[in-house]
Amino acid sequence: MTSIGTGYDLANSIFSPDGRNFQVEYAVKAVENGGTSIGIRCKDGVVLAVEKVITSKLLKQGANKRIATVDRHLGVVYSGMIPDGRHFIDRARDEARSWRDTFKNPIPTADLASRMGGYMQAYTLYQSVRPFGITAIVGGWDSELESGVDGEVGRGPSVGAGGKTPGKKYGGPFLYMIEPSGLYWGYYGAATGKGRQAAKAELEKLDLSADGESSLTLEEAVKEAARIIYVAHDDNKDKDFELEMSWISGADGPTKGFHQEVPKALREEAERLAKKSLEDEDEEEEKKEDDKMEE
Amino acid sequence: MDHRPQAWGRPRDDVYGAYDGSYLQSGGPKTATQSPVVTGTSVVAIKYKDGVVIAADNLASYGSLARFTDVKRLRVFLGTSVVGFGGDVSDMQWLDRHLNELAIDESYDDEPSPSSLLSASPNKGHGKLNAANLHVYLQKLMYRRRNDFDPLWNQLLIAGLDAAGKPHLSSVDLRGTAFTSPSLATGFGAALAQPIMRRHAPTEEAAAALTREEAVGVVQECMKVLYYRDARSLDRYSIAVVTKEGVELKEDEQLERQSWAFAERIKGYGTQTV
Amino acid sequence: MFRNNYDNDSVTFSPQGRIFQVEYAAEAVKQGSVVVGIASKTHAVLVAIKRNAEELSSYQKKLFPIDEHTGIAIAGLTSDARVLSNFMKQQCLGHRLSYGRNMPVRSLVDQIGSKAQINTQHYGKRPYGVGLLVAGVDEQGPHLFEFQPSGMTEEMQAFAIGARSQMARTYLEKNLSEFASCGREELVRHGLKALKESLVQDRELTVENTSVGIVGVGKAKDGSTKVEPFKVYDGQDVNAWIDSVADDKEAATAEGETMEVDDE
Repeated sequence: MTSIGTGYDLANSIFSPDGRNFQVEYAVKAVENGGTSIGIRCKDGVVLAVEKVITSKLLKQGANKRIATVDRHLGVVYSGMIPDGRHFIDRARDEARSWRDTFKNPIPTADLASRMGGYMQAYTLYQSVRPFGITAIVGGWDSELESGVDGEVGRGPSVGAGGKTPGKKYGGPFLYMIEPSGLYWGYYGAATGKGRQAAKAELEKLDLSADGESSLTLEEAVKEAARIIYVAHDDNKDKDFELEMSWISGADGPTKGFHQEVPKALREEAERLAKKSLEDEDEEEEKKEDDKMEE
Repeated sequence: MDHRPQAWGRPRDDVYGAYDGSYLQSGGPKTATQSPVVTGTSVVAIKYKDGVVIAADNLASYGSLARFTDVKRLRVFLGTSVVGFGGDVSDMQWLDRHLNELAIDESYDDEPSPSSLLSASPNKGHGKLNAANLHVYLQKLMYRRRNDFDPLWNQLLIAGLDAAGKPHLSSVDLRGTAFTSPSLATGFGAALAQPIMRRHAPTEEAAAALTREEAVGVVQECMKVLYYRDARSLDRYSIAVVTKEGVELKEDEQLERQSWAFAERIKGYGTQTV
Repeated sequence: MFRNNYDNDSVTFSPQGRIFQVEYAAEAVKQGSVVVGIASKTHAVLVAIKRNAEELSSYQKKLFPIDEHTGIAIAGLTSDARVLSNFMKQQCLGHRLSYGRNMPVRSLVDQIGSKAQINTQHYGKRPYGVGLLVAGVDEQGPHLFEFQPSGMTEEMQAFAIGARSQMARTYLEKNLSEFASCGREELVRHGLKALKESLVQDRELTVENTSVGIVGVGKAKDGSTKVEPFKVYDGQDVNAWIDSVADDKEAATAEGETMEVDDE
């Protein structure tokens, strides 16, 4: 590696002569060792999923959640150093709360992503701190309804709060991914962690456009998310893992605008389909191999 | 001429007189809310066999003016408890937002537990703050604020279930005074509704013998008496029934079968000459 | 030249994305004597080996009550553990004052996790040099958590940390399926057996060096459930338990009608 031995990689916030902050790049390495996380934004919601590698048989099954609720309508999943992720979530919750204190409204997903991007970036600026060893995926549903302010007691004006153009669509599903550098983008499908390459390849095959007949529905997205985590885990087969998934729909969808864990029955069904799809693929491969042999 | 740095840029004392800094000082001691402004009147509640019935009318008064007539003074916490607010409406809104944040905190670790042992039944909101916990919390909050000489000008009723799944009904006021009782009423209701409710539920045992229909009936009767006698009340009201199944809240109820016949016999008010 | 440039503080990532200072702190946990924790459906127990600095000195305590419903077992720097223990006591007291209930164990453990994580991200701070097992009961039932210097906290069915704890963990893994349905006494015996696996040759469990801590869900007189408060047992109070796990197999084979044998 070109960074080692140069002396430019020994402290955070130091630029190398070609303009890189190696400590941030090393933080990315910590992310790349972590279990795969993905997020899918489809037309009627967002799905978050994570591969939790089981490090010990003695762990209590299903007890250690990795996807966190930040506000009622916001969820975060991350890959990398788990205590760093907890810190990230604590901060995200503080941001969501302070937004509510100021604006008497839930924080839009884009604003949370922006604030957390800024927070992560601040940890690349000083030698006295280190960057976050995580990449976080933030999913949320901004309410499409005419919603009052927090603490409202009456009906309010019958025309609503105003400030909206008739016919224009407001709210909807949003997905962002924030890297240790503080860089963040909005995504249709996002993947990070060990299996991100395989996961990205799978995500790219999905139709995640905002509208259109054939674009993915939320329930299909849950099943795809499970399958993608299983595909991404494939190279890591010797280690067992637990799949954790959460979802967010609009007010008329299954979660009513809230970020929630995917119900057990649906998750198990998704896992069954994921396993089946992997087996089918294996069989096909074997067949191909056999055909080749015969030739 | 005064050349000392602290006099630089200042009008000369010998020409304009000494600087009058009195506007920087506030006059008298620090002040905070001295009285409520927009107010809600009574909240009444009674326990029964399986839960609690609680009601409050939908009026917010500005002094004697019936200013807002669609104000919802019963607030649901976590889908398992109800807080009824009497007193200042803006303080109620502050508390409502505060409780909303508390409820969001509670929803962070939403772990449905299949093996619950410490509670009688796997009821809704299990393992989360129940009405008894909420009562303790609000009591500390109100008492702290009164010690800061900045009270939240409310009296609250908290209706729900305790850790054992039994009905819970309690009260906190702006001084942090807190207690529980089989039936409770705030404001004018403490004088007018409480005696009626005590006839039906003088003790915990008596309350535990009431049916839901009876409890709702008593509360409706109380709301009617309050509307007859309390000039700051309204005949539109909210009523909630809290059980272990959750909260059933109706926010636009109308007082029925009113009879104002008794009013004719009232003499001696206003411009009446007879 | 330098052996390793990346291990001088906790704000420097190695090129592989590791933070050596945190990993070294985890080594400090392995210097401490072994502690074992197990949770069943009704109880959570902690058992520990205490060490004395010299023959005539007293034994260093390993188990500490935090609140009525929670206790911890420590491995590593005792003084760091005291900081965390005081903090946990305050959190529990504060929660009890504000809400009138036992603090949920998960949120208590999350708090020390967050506190420890800060020490791994800021220059001039060092990670805690101690690992904890936290046993507690809340409205969800009994819990056992492991806390690491990195700030990592995980809920376990059973676990062991400290010197030679791998042997104890192997025992726990082997018997994992039994724990959930174990009663109070049985759970303690499993803990002590796991502990014995980790002992160095010709050391054994004695009333001087063994501690047991128990917390659980009990029944009140009226049949409702209530917390059996966390209690630490030392000295003669642990004698019967130690006897009950005395090398029964050897005792049984070596003509031993004299020794009481514990049948499982």
